Amino acid sequence: MRIVIGEDLFLLRDGLVRLLTAHGFEIAAAVGTAPELLEALTTERPDVGIVDVRLPPTHTDDGLRAALRARKQVPGLPVLVLSQYVEQLYARELLADQAGGVGYLLKDRVFNDEAFAAAIRSVAAGGTVLDPEVVQKLMARSQPVSRLSPREREVLALMAEGRSNAAIAQRMFITEKAVSKHAAGIFGKLDLAPSDDDNRRVLAVLAYLES
Amino acid sequence: MDFADLVSLLLLGAIAFALVREMKKAAPSPGGLRGHIRARGWGLVLLPVAAMAAAMTGHVHALAVTELAVAGALVAWAPRLAAKLAPYAVLALAVEGVILAKDYHDGFTNPVLYGLVMGGPGSWFTHLILPEAMLLFAFGGWLLVKVNAPGAGLLRALIGRWRDPGRGGVTPAYGLLLIPVTVMALLLLGPRYWFGLPGPELSAIVLVDAAIATASLVLVFRSRVWAATVAEAGLLVLGAYGLAIAEFWPAVPGFVYGLMPLDVTHHAASGGALQGTVLLGLGLWLAPRVMHEHLAPATDPELAARARQLTERVQTLTQSRSNAVDTAAAELRRIERDLHDGAQARMVAVGMSLQAAERLFASNPQAALALVAEAKESSSRALTELRDLVRGIYPPVLADRGLGDAIKALALDTPLPVTVDAELPDQVELPVASAVYFSVAEALANVVKHAEARSVHIDLSHRGGVLRAEVTDNGAGGADAASGTGLAGVERRLATFDGILAVSSPPGGPTIVVIEVPCASSSAKTSSC
Repeated sequence: MRIVIGEDLFLLRDGLVRLLTAHGFEIAAAVGTAPELLEALTTERPDVGIVDVRLPPTHTDDGLRAALRARKQVPGLPVLVLSQYVEQLYARELLADQAGGVGYLLKDRVFNDEAFAAAIRSVAAGGTVLDPEVVQKLMARSQPVSRLSPREREVLALMAEGRSNAAIAQRMFITEKAVSKHAAGIFGKLDLAPSDDDNRRVLAVLAYLES
Repeated sequence: MDFADLVSLLLLGAIAFALVREMKKAAPSPGGLRGHIRARGWGLVLLPVAAMAAAMTGHVHALAVTELAVAGALVAWAPRLAAKLAPYAVLALAVEGVILAKDYHDGFTNPVLYGLVMGGPGSWFTHLILPEAMLLFAFGGWLLVKVNAPGAGLLRALIGRWRDPGRGGVTPAYGLLLIPVTVMALLLLGPRYWFGLPGPELSAIVLVDAAIATASLVLVFRSRVWAATVAEAGLLVLGAYGLAIAEFWPAVPGFVYGLMPLDVTHHAASGGALQGTVLLGLGLWLAPRVMHEHLAPATDPELAARARQLTERVQTLTQSRSNAVDTAAAELRRIERDLHDGAQARMVAVGMSLQAAERLFASNPQAALALVAEAKESSSRALTELRDLVRGIYPPVLADRGLGDAIKALALDTPLPVTVDAELPDQVELPVASAVYFSVAEALANVVKHAEARSVHIDLSHRGGVLRAEVTDNGAGGADAASGTGLAGVERRLATFDGILAVSSPPGGPTIVVIEVPCASSSAKTSSC
């Protein structure tokens, strides 16, 4: 799986390269500025681009903007955005095109390398992976969520984080069938059309929470 | 009036009409006629001077018309040049007056209108030409300094040499000199002449007249400085007049100069010279003191009001600066404590866990692994705490995207439906943006905590040099800005930028919190746009 990395701090860039290489990913390019990143994303067409929000030249949200532009030029180009902080505002912008293949995680999620590698694969496959912190905020804001049972809320949060039914089952120590039942309950209570496609499911829920 | 006069008069009228029309078109000053006058300033003096010079020719002929036209054109189109020329025109007119007085003395017979005085053989008014010329000299010199015309520097240097800076100022007593000056001027102008009173003596009625005139002068000026100024001018003019009498005039029956009747020639000569010298000396002695007073900072009511305003402003700024310093210090203390008890402590724990893991690595790999996992957990917590700290110091979206998006991000993080309308310039200066951001954040936090609101609307705008944020909720109302410490902190924070906070919260709602920060502020450090 080919990966482009956009990260300006050498230590972190180098660390990411080593970590990903160790997990069997191929690094197509590792760059340190937004213009280089945009160039690499559009010419290399990697399976996933891993992007730091804050990049030179202005050291504001150049990385995020470069990722959004790249996705405009190459629709559905999988991008996993990393940041020291997560903002719902940026999550919305990333999800706006509804094309999937989007991840938005805190940088410290890298500590859990297994989960991080899984997230990369999920994004590469067109899935949507959101940081638990974003999901938590999204759900705190949404009033319809109060109609769900605590168990259903837990399932919904894990779904929004981009986990498959199998992963949710494993995490919650319940069977996959039980997860499916909860999911159906959630979709029923939120008046959403049920779907088996993980990504479609996440997007539907997010779109609902956003509204 | 002959035909040439008539044509000239018509021409003059046409020129005046054209000038007025052109002035209206050229510079549409605010405030109509007053605006025009104010915009042209001292240059306007050229107009009466030109009129006076024209009148001296005795006819409305080509020269007079040209003079008036040139003066009018200068005033209309080159007001600055007109102002610089005005003092020289006045001085030239004064010289003209002296020459005219000398001419009459030497037997010139034609009647000439000099200012307000019609001179001519046998007319007593001829005697007033010289005082008038003296006044014009004084006015011309004053104007020279006032408009800072070329040559003003020389005059100032002369005055500077002449006046003693150590003994400046006038006392109220100097203003009393106005009384003898007025009496003398009245005697000279002669109530005798006007009312046909007998004798040159100081009659009671003259004294009463003098007292009334003096009292009215003092009342008019109501200022020791101006009383002294008028007294000084009077002394100089009367003194110069006395010297001129001694030089030019034979006896003038029935008039009094100071203590001397001017009936007898030798009186006129000796009395005029002696008294003139004394008066002139007194005037010159008073002049630097008066000048000192005028050059010292004036104390008129407008300036006093301005001074009061500035004093208040300084007090406000001192207060808000001290608040800003206190707030900054408290903030630094909080950050230091947070770092010390939070991230720093956690990093120590990370180091200790790793150290222990290192020791156990060979002997007990399982335990070492557990310690490494613990270290990972600690560093993750340290990161979370650092993130929260950074958010409190400077919100990342504010740094990335500016105020509008930062408030939108804030709205998204609020567990209530919040709508945001933002119409802001691209660049709001960071300190102001930060202050407004935290103020809105505090207002939102209050809504969440107290208002029982179902939704909130935030309106950000920038109009007329004022950055304005309005937070409106549909909650219970009845909020009191004075009771909460949070809003008081917001007020202090905004005061640093001359900003204000206003709360309207009738019982039953809605509650509206308005935050306003002016963009043009008194210091460059606090101007936001």
